[in-house]
Amino acid sequence: MDAHIRKVYVPMTETGFYILLCLQEPNHGYGIVQRVEELTGGEIRLTPGTMYGSLSKMEKDGLIHFVRAEEKRKLYCITDLGKEVLGLELKRIQRLYQTAMEVSGREQ
Amino acid sequence: MSNKKEVKFFNIMQYEKEAAYLRNMHKSGWKFVRMTGLGMYHFESCEPEDVIYQLDYNQEGLKNKEEYVQMFADCGWEYLQDAFGYSYFRKPASQTVGEESIFCDEASRMEMMNRVFKGRLIPLIVIYCCCLLPQLLNATFIYDSPVIASLLGGLVGLYTVIFGVFAYQYYQFMKDKKR
Repeated sequence: MDAHIRKVYVPMTETGFYILLCLQEPNHGYGIVQRVEELTGGEIRLTPGTMYGSLSKMEKDGLIHFVRAEEKRKLYCITDLGKEVLGLELKRIQRLYQTAMEVSGREQ
Repeated sequence: MSNKKEVKFFNIMQYEKEAAYLRNMHKSGWKFVRMTGLGMYHFESCEPEDVIYQLDYNQEGLKNKEEYVQMFADCGWEYLQDAFGYSYFRKPASQTVGEESIFCDEASRMEMMNRVFKGRLIPLIVIYCCCLLPQLLNATFIYDSPVIASLLGGLVGLYTVIFGVFAYQYYQFMKDKKR
């Protein structure tokens, strides 16, 4: 993974994270919007301007790839590079969480 | 049903202001129909309603228009038209959760602004640096032609004002975003 990808995507936005997470199975933009709403109990609602921009950027950067079109909707899936980025981001979040727990544990 | 037209100018950085203008018009019973020319807004009378208008600037989207418009439609945004690279969308406030926008994070809002800059401002800067400035210097110092020099001088002056206004707006925009 080149330094540019690492710099742009780690840490990544919540939107970016959910897109990669959902695209472990092929899905289209609106499908991701619905899935994320379901997963977060309606807490996170992704919007089309953000979604469209993120999908084109991630496709250009090789994190996701086009699978096929269903009617007028393009289905994407995560690539190996995308999985690698998602893994790095997960590790980062895990470390954040662990550190936070350790610190608050010490304070109690 | 009556119609009306209004002439309004918004520069490339004022897309949020333009959206707010269309929302206000709709609230006061004038539904946006289309924009023609450089800033002629056509409206038709309607029941006053709070409808959110949004502008996106996405050349990638315009190239894949069907798919682009479909994603917005799936999310409840009605596509209206394109003008100068901008796409116009609207959605009744009654169908939204809170104050909805087509962007849900700052990063994507900034990316849109960067696309506007790349698509609209950089071409202007290129024309300025590669055509206007050298021609002005030629006319002034080589051909010694006062008429052309003053004409070009006027254009250079105009461009400088435009860039100044953009620089100021960019500064204001960033300040707003930080707040």
